Parts: sequence; C-alpha cells; structure tokens
Amino acid sequence: MTINIIIITALVTSALWTAMTVRLLRSAVGLAITSAILAILMFRLCSPIAAVFELSVCAGLIFAIFISAITVTGRITNEQIVLKKKLRLRRFWLLPVIVIIAAIVLTQIHFHAIFNLPAQPVENNVKIILWNMRHLDLLGQVVILLAGAFGVVILFKEWKND
Amino acid sequence: MLSLFLLLPLLGIIALNLPYKGKKDTVALLYVLLLSVGQAIVVLFHPANFWHMPDFWGRFFHLALYADNLTLVLILSIGIVMSAAVLVAWQTISESKSRLNFINLALVALIGMNGTVLLTDIFSLYVFLEVTAISSFILIAFQRDLNALEGAFKYIVLSALATIMMLSAIAALLLFSGDTSFASVSQAVKNNCCNPIIIFAITLFVCGLFIKGGLVPFHGWLPAAYSAAPAAVSVLLAGIVTKVAGIYVLIRLVRDVFGPVGAINDILMIVGIISIIIGALAALKQDDFKKILAYSSISQVGYIILGLGCGSPLGIAGAIFHLFNHSIFKSLLFVNSAAVEKQTGSTDINKMGGLGAKMPFSNASCLIATFSTAGIPPAAGFWSKLMIIIALWQNGYHAYAAVAILVSVITLAYLLAIQRKVFFGILPDELKNIKEAGIWIVLPAATLAIIIIGVGVFFPFLFNSFLVPVSNFFK
Amino acid sequence: MNANILLMLVIIPLVAAILILAIRRLSEIIALLATGSMLIIAIALFRQNLTYSLSLPWAGFGIEFIFRLYHFSAFILLAITAFAFLIVLYSCSFMHGKNYVNQFYSYLLISAAMANGAVLADNFVLLLFFWEGLLVTLFGLIAIGGKEAFRTATKMFIIVGVSDLCLMIGIGLVWYLTGTLTISKITVPLNTLGCTAFILLMIGAISKGGSMPFHSWIPDAAVDAPLPFMAFLPASLEKLLGIYLLARITLDMFKLTTGSWLSILLMTIGAITILLAVMMALIQKDYKKLLSYHAISQVGYMILGIGTCLPIGIIGGLFHMINNALYKSCLFLTAGSVEKQTGTTDLNKLGGLWSKMPVTAVCFLITAASISGVPPFNGFFSKEMIYDAAMERHPIFYIAALLGSFLTAASFLKLGHAAFFGKRNQENENTKEASLPMLIPMVIIAAICVLFGLYHRSAVGTFLTPILTEQFVEHDASVLLVTLTAIVLILAVIHHIIGTEIHGGGVKAADHIHHAPVLGGIYDKAEKRLFDPYEIGLKIVNVISKILSFMDKAVDWIYNSMTVNSAYAASDTIKNLNTGNYSLYIIWSLAGGVIVLIMMLKGFGS
Repeated sequence: MTINIIIITALVTSALWTAMTVRLLRSAVGLAITSAILAILMFRLCSPIAAVFELSVCAGLIFAIFISAITVTGRITNEQIVLKKKLRLRRFWLLPVIVIIAAIVLTQIHFHAIFNLPAQPVENNVKIILWNMRHLDLLGQVVILLAGAFGVVILFKEWKND
Repeated sequence: MLSLFLLLPLLGIIALNLPYKGKKDTVALLYVLLLSVGQAIVVLFHPANFWHMPDFWGRFFHLALYADNLTLVLILSIGIVMSAAVLVAWQTISESKSRLNFINLALVALIGMNGTVLLTDIFSLYVFLEVTAISSFILIAFQRDLNALEGAFKYIVLSALATIMMLSAIAALLLFSGDTSFASVSQAVKNNCCNPIIIFAITLFVCGLFIKGGLVPFHGWLPAAYSAAPAAVSVLLAGIVTKVAGIYVLIRLVRDVFGPVGAINDILMIVGIISIIIGALAALKQDDFKKILAYSSISQVGYIILGLGCGSPLGIAGAIFHLFNHSIFKSLLFVNSAAVEKQTGSTDINKMGGLGAKMPFSNASCLIATFSTAGIPPAAGFWSKLMIIIALWQNGYHAYAAVAILVSVITLAYLLAIQRKVFFGILPDELKNIKEAGIWIVLPAATLAIIIIGVGVFFPFLFNSFLVPVSNFFK
Repeated sequence: MNANILLMLVIIPLVAAILILAIRRLSEIIALLATGSMLIIAIALFRQNLTYSLSLPWAGFGIEFIFRLYHFSAFILLAITAFAFLIVLYSCSFMHGKNYVNQFYSYLLISAAMANGAVLADNFVLLLFFWEGLLVTLFGLIAIGGKEAFRTATKMFIIVGVSDLCLMIGIGLVWYLTGTLTISKITVPLNTLGCTAFILLMIGAISKGGSMPFHSWIPDAAVDAPLPFMAFLPASLEKLLGIYLLARITLDMFKLTTGSWLSILLMTIGAITILLAVMMALIQKDYKKLLSYHAISQVGYMILGIGTCLPIGIIGGLFHMINNALYKSCLFLTAGSVEKQTGTTDLNKLGGLWSKMPVTAVCFLITAASISGVPPFNGFFSKEMIYDAAMERHPIFYIAALLGSFLTAASFLKLGHAAFFGKRNQENENTKEASLPMLIPMVIIAAICVLFGLYHRSAVGTFLTPILTEQFVEHDASVLLVTLTAIVLILAVIHHIIGTEIHGGGVKAADHIHHAPVLGGIYDKAEKRLFDPYEIGLKIVNVISKILSFMDKAVDWIYNSMTVNSAYAASDTIKNLNTGNYSLYIIWSLAGGVIVLIMMLKGFGS
C-alpha cells in the first residue's frame, strides 16, 4: 500500500512537471516518465498486458512521435525561457495546490461506504480475458497511431520542407 | 462481413503508403470512391448474403460488431457524404501530394466512423471516437492555413475536454458493470439507477457528447472549425463526422444503453431547443457563407436532439430521419459554398451577387438544400421536421413544437439571405468572368439535390418500408 | 373481350390529343379517327351488355385504379363517344380557319378521355382525378376564345373548383364513414354525417351538371367560347357526367327514399333551377345565350326527376338527361350554323332564314318542339314521366315544372320566330345553307330525337330500365296530365301570338314579361349580374381582402419594427459572445455541464 502511494505521488509529480515545464522536449520526456510510472502501477495492480501496452505505445511510440515532431521546431532563446517561465508560473501556480487538496479530500472520503459500490468488482483473470478479447480496441489504437503519424508528417515535416 | 467496413479502408491506407511510384492519387481516389459508394449500395440494395455471411475475419480477430437499422442509416449517410467530399477535394485541391494526404486521412476518418456506428462496447466507442477526432483535427489543419490551425486547435482543446469526461464516465460505469459491453453497462445502469455515481457518469458522458456534437452551450469550437477548414473537409466534418461522433452516439447510448434515466429527456429537449434558437439567431447576422452554415448546423442538430428527447417512437424516427436529411442537405450547402469559394476565392457573401446566372447548377441545388433545411415541401427536410413536430405535439410539448416551427422561419430567412446575396442581385464587376464550378463539384451537388427531392417526393413509400422499422428497434 | 379494352377508351383520345398538338395539319383527321374508334368500342361494349372490372395497383392506401363497366356506365360511354364523334365532325367545318384549331381538338379529346375515365372509375380518388382533369381542359377550351374568354374561364375555374372542393371533402367524409373508396361497395347510412357527405357530393355532381347556384359561368361561356365547345361540354357531356354521378350517389350509395328530407331538398333545387333559369332565358336577345339558360333550366327537370326517388321519376330524369343532351346539342349546332353563315347570333339582326337554310330550320323545329315537350318528340315523354312523379310527391313541384314548360315553349316560339321566320334582315339576303359536315350531325341528332319519341318505350327499355334494380313497368301517362300539358302548350302559342301583336315582332314577344312591374326591376338587376353568386362572392372576398390587407400592414409593422430588430439584436449579442477565446468556450462547456448535472440529480431526486 505504501509503495503504491509513493508511486502515485511520483506519477502526479511527473505529470505536474510535464504540464508546467517550458521546454517542449522536457515536457515530452516528462510524459514518457509519467507513462512509465503508470505502467509500473498497472503491473502492480496485476494487469501486466495493460502495463506492457502502456509502456510500448505511450512511453515508446508516442514519445518517439513527439521527439520527431520537436526536432523540426525552432529553438527558443534563454530570455524567452525566463519570460515564459514567469508567465507559466503565474498561470499554473494553482494546479499543484488543487492536486494536493484533491488528494487529501479523496483519501479521507470512503466512496465504497457512501455510494455502496460493489466491493470486489472485477476478478483478475477476467481482466486478462478482457484484454485478449479487445482486438477491436487494438485495431483502433493502431489506426490512431497511423493518424498521429500522418499528422506529424503532414503538419510538421512537410512544413519544414516548404 | 461487417469487419470489411473497417479492414478495407485500413488495407487501402497500407497499400497507399507502400513505397512505390505511379499515379497514386488517381488510384487512391478511385479506391475511396469505390469504398464509400459501395457502402451506400450495400445498404440500399441490402444483399442478404453480404449482411448475413459469417465474418471470415472473426476467426482471427474478436471484433464484436453489430449492425441494426439505425447503423444502416448511418452507414448510408457516411457513404454518400464521403464520396461527395472526396470529389470536392479532387476539384479544390490541385497538388497530387495534398490529394493523397487528404485521401489517407479520409480513409482514417472512414474507419473511425464505420467503427463508431458498428461497435457494441463503450470503451471501443471511446477509441473510435478518438480515431475520428484525430483524423478530423489533422484534416482541418492540413493545408496549414493560420485560421485553420486555430480552428483545429480549438477543436482539439474542447475535444480533449470531452474525451476526459467520457473516459472518466467509462471508468465510473466500469465500477458497476465489470464489463464495458453495451449489454452489461445497460444492465448495470438498470440495476443501480438510483446511484449518484451512475447519474454523474451518465451526465459526464452526455456532456462529452454534447461537446462532440456542438450543441449550445458546448459549441464554442464548431463555427471556427467548420468555417476555417478547407472546403472538402467542411463537407465531411459538417456533413457526417460530428453527426456520427456526437449525435449518433447520443441516440445510441440514450436509447439503447442508458435508457430514460432521471431527467435525461428533459435535458435533451432543453439543450435541443436552446441550440435551435441560438444557432438560428447567430446565423442571422453572419456575413461569411460557411459561418452561416456552421451556425445553421448547430440549429439543425438541435432539432435532432429535440426529437430524440421527446421519447416517442415517432420522435426518434423523426430524429434519425432528420439526421440523415441533415447530412445530405448540409453537405450539399457546403458543396455549394465550396463551388463559390473555388470560383470567387472568397466566402464573404457581401462581396458577391448575381452568381445565379453564371453558376446555374450551384444556384438550383443551393435553393433545394435551403428548402430542405427550412422544411419546405417537397424537399426531404419537410417530412423529418414534420415528424419531429408532430411527435412533440402528441406528447404535449406544445411550446417546443411552436418554437420549432417559428425557428424554421428564421432558418429560411438566413438561408434566403445567402441565396439573395450570392446568387441573385447584381453581378459585381470583378466577377464578370466567373464560370460554373468544375464537374467534380457539380456532379455531387446535383446528386445530393436529386436525393433530397427524391426522398421528399417518395417519402410516403419510405415511411412504411424504412422509417418505421428504424424506430421499432428501440421497442 | 379483354377488360383492358376499357383502358383504350382513355388512352386513344389522350394519344390522339398529343399527336394533334404535334402534327398540326392532320388534326381533323386524327380527331375523327380517334373519336370514331372510340365510338366503335363503346357500341361493341354496349352490345355485349356485360360487367367488366379492371383493377390495377395505383397509389396505395386503398387508392386503386379500378375501372368498372356495367349497363349504366356503358350507356353513358356510348352517349359520350357518339357526341364526341358528331361534334368533331361538325367542327371540321365550323372551326375551319379559326385560331387555335389544334388546341381545340386536343382539349376536346382530352375532355372526352377524362369523361370516359370518370364514368368508368370505380374508385373515388380515381374519379376525382379524371373529374379535375376535365376542369383543366374546360378551362383551356374556354380560354382559347380570346381575351374576354379568359375572364369567363377564370370564373368557371373558381366556381367549379369550389364545388369540386366540396366533392373532395364529401369523398373524404365517405371514406371516414365507410372505410373504403371503391364506389360500388359503398353504402352510407343517412345519419347526420352521412347527410353532410351526401350534400357535399351532390354539390359536386349538380354543379358539374350546371344547376343553380353554380350556373353563372355558362351564359358567359356561351358568348365567349367556341360554339362546338358549348354543344359538347355544357350541353351534353357535363350533363351526362353530373347526372350520372348524382344518380349513382342517390341510387346506389345513399339509397335515398321518398321519406328523406334530402329528396325534398333535391326536388326544391330542381324546381328553382327550372323556373329561374327559364325566366332568364325568356328575355334573352341572343341565340346562344338564350340556349345556354335553357341548358341550365333543363338540368332542373333531371334533378327534380331523380329527387323524387320514385322509379318513374328516376327513369324520367335519366331519359330527360339523354334527351336533353340530344336536342340541346343539336340546338347549339343550329346556332353554330346560323353564326357561321350570317356572322351573328343577335336575334334583332336575324330573321326569315327559313327559306335560305331549310335543313337547319327543320332541325331547329324538331329539337325546339322536343325541348318544349310537344308530342310525339322525345322531350314530351321524359317530361311526362317527371310530371307524373312530381305530381305523386306534391302538386307544387308539378306546377313549377309545368310553369317551366310554359315558359320554355314561349321562349322557343320567340326564338324560332325571330331567327327563322318573320322579316328577313337586309344583310342576310345572300345567306346560304351550311356545309355538309355541319348538316350531317344536326340531321342525325334530330332524327334520333324523332326516333326516341316514336319508339320511346323500346328506347327506355333498352337503355334505362336495366339501370334500376327494382322492377319498373311503364304505364301510360295519365290523361289528366297530358291534357294539362296540351293546354299549357296551346296557352304558350296564344301568349306568343298576343305578344307579337302587342309589341310587333317575334323578338319582342315576351317583352311584357320582361317589363312587368315587379319583374322588370329584378330582371334589370339580374342582367347586371347582381344575383350572380360568383359576383356576390367576389365582392365579399374583396371586402375581406381589404380588411386582411389592413391587418397585414399592421402585422407587417410589428414584424418589421419589433421582431426583426429584436432578432438582429439577439444575433449581434451572440456574435459578440463568440469571441474566439478558448477559455471562454471551456468555461461555457463546464458551466453547461454543471447545470446539466444539477438537473439530472434533481430529476433523479423526484
């Protein structure tokens, strides 16, 4: 349980960093790290296939697409970075506060008791079968990736060549 | 053989992107036309061996696909609008490479839409909505016009909001159902209909779909995206993409999965009537051809939602029929705007006039589409609006029916304003040498106009054979 | 014979009509061939004396394409086709060299096709289809007469259109009451709705026949429209159709009995029509106009006869229908001959044509005697039957009919005297007899009049008795009635002689009636069309439209100043709200979501 909490904290921290950092490259790296931590969490929650998928698609492929997109963008100067940092801090200072408050509130409320949720909703092996049966979603994911690749090629690569 | 609707376009995308030389764009055009026209034909002639053949691919993939009458209507509309959009793109985009890009993305969108209407699982639904959405973002922006990039970005931002809402809703529903198929979700909703979490989840899902469908007050992205997109993309987007992604899913979920939970019907009707009024009023004072059409789209979608919210079989049948009609007449109007934009280089209706004599086909088809939109017989739109209004009246929603009729007048007003400012009046000097748009714009425009009139005139025959079965499946 | 032959009766004239429009030069020949072949088919069908039924799928919803041929419709078909053939033959000469000849033939043939269809139709919607088709060709036939004719055509269109609307509503009611549209299967109970339906259907039928108060276009058309049109449509074909429909609805569908108040209504309409129209006819100074008022007045006899609901009255009415079609069309044809040869139909300019146009004059004499009810011509026998029936119901109807007979005889004495006898006008010294194609139809029809008179029993037996379901045995006319008729005729002759003596000249023989103290004023007003329901209706419509136009202006003002401005203001506000700001859009969406959630939870709570 403690390990899970540590992992969740790390997840939220890396996600916050992803949102608040100024440089695109760092943001992309942050996203990849978030995905990786999420994969660990899924693994710990007995969903190995989901974890593998998350790791391969989000941490791997999407990261690769982002990196390839970012390489075609221009660099920004240090003065701009300082300026943007100020702006971003001014805009997003509430975000960590909200996350922390939400975390405290959510840990204090006993959802199961209040809304009488089903106690043990899903069996483990059911999950595995679920993932085995989800070929349609896999097909959809493949197409999303294809679309993303088209997007990068059309919007960024060809643009640069113009 | 339902999986062919997904696998054939995918096969096309793969084949088109193999590294070989040749007239790829022509082949691509023919392929996508073949697919979309074939899709329409398969619905229209309904060959039994096609629909009932056991799915060959099912042995390899577990694709839980399912088609009923509602799906067939949508598949038909997708086929018609897609072929019109591809032809318009062929006329308006001249570069071979851009054409190829467009067709690739159109194929992705085709997979997304076909998947959305065929699947039976709430999570797959999310996946295919994303496929559709991503392909449309890129389609809007793909000519890298600055306005278009902005429109696409607005769409991305609000669509992301919708995605978050829907995903959280799916998670919450999964807590109860333990499975994401329509059947088990429906069962779970029925068993726990008094649970606030379920209500919350359904609300989130429905609001997400409101954003996707562009209903007031969730419509912020829609005018910018529709009007900034390239001509052919507007046809596709307004004609079918948002209708499948927002409205079809709403109809399917509200009727088939959630059932009449809580005040959902009232909410649908209120959102519908607000959209009808705001959309029509906003369209009244615009002076951009495509912006007027975009707001008109909001207003017409309101009618669909109103019919759906009314809840009676006639209302739902009217809503589905209006969905079909809307996809036809709105694509036709956007095809006409594409013709005007292509020939004059502008969409500002104040700068035009007297194009009717020079562009007779566009003029006539635009008038037909106007009649269908405003609900004037014998155009098809008259019947669907009539069905919706009768259904409202029968169920005691007299005020809604009255407003729906009144707004029809406003609809006619703003569309006739287009007609008057663009096609009638005096021809400005700088447009003296204008000609009718090319054959690939005129052809789809004429076909769509014929469909409108044909459906309108033969409606009494369609009513028993086509529409009554469509609404019956909800019983 | 195949039942499909029924279709030929509609298709042949339609095809011929299109051919005539395409090939202008052969129009007479094509029209003659088409009407001739129709006549042959109709004769063959009548001789077979079988019941045919032809049913084709049509519009769905119980609206089927059903043709049914039985004795009654075969008889009407025979009459229609015979008249069509004779009129076309007559027109070959009469219409020669006039404008719009090919349009005339084409409309005439289409009218014949529509009439055939209407007679054969066994489905009300199909009947209505042909009925309205006839209205269109009627409009065309009047309108080709020239500029003035267009006004008359519009008048006709409105009057007949309104009554057709009544017919349509009546059909709707019948459908609502019985659930079927197949005419031969319908039996309507005579409750309140049933009576309403009957009255509506009756209005459709009698207005086609030209009864009062739906008559006022006929005298106008007589002046404006081509003459063969008058002989064909208002004189024969429309009477046949209108009375046919009236007979079918009274006898088959509603099964009217003598006890019903509807029977009295019908008889009253008949009696009023006879009297008023013949009063108008008496004072006319124009050959064609005088005839046209008689065309109205004679319908009254038929309606009176059918309205009695007695077998002898019905047979009399139907016999009068065919007799009237014969002599009235022949009278119009003589008017046409006179017009063609002398160039006028004004009675003041005519006179003494007897020696110049002997054949026409003889035909006129026979038919005029027939219409006045002089034995042994056919009109005498049908009128006697109607008198018999009217007498049995109530003497007042009999007196009205007899008075009508007196005035008819008087007006025809005046007409004959003025046109064919008396002093010859100087301008008509060189008048010649009409050409052969015009004479043949007149002679044939006049001969039939004589034959029907002489062999009236076998004519009634062959053509009419089988129509009635109940047994009908013709008995001799009562001596009293025949004597009274004879007295009336003699009185008419005396009246004419006295009138001529007083006023000098045949034309003015009825002037003392025209200028009688009370009647004079009424006549003047009637001549100014003050009693024409159409003109009165027009005045009312004008007043209403003025009021409406004023209200419309007021509404316009409200619309322009308030609605449009507020709509535009709202539009501006919404436009200003859509600033293109992302965060604003997101806030809207979220706010909308929260409201929806609140509503959902509220609805869930209740």
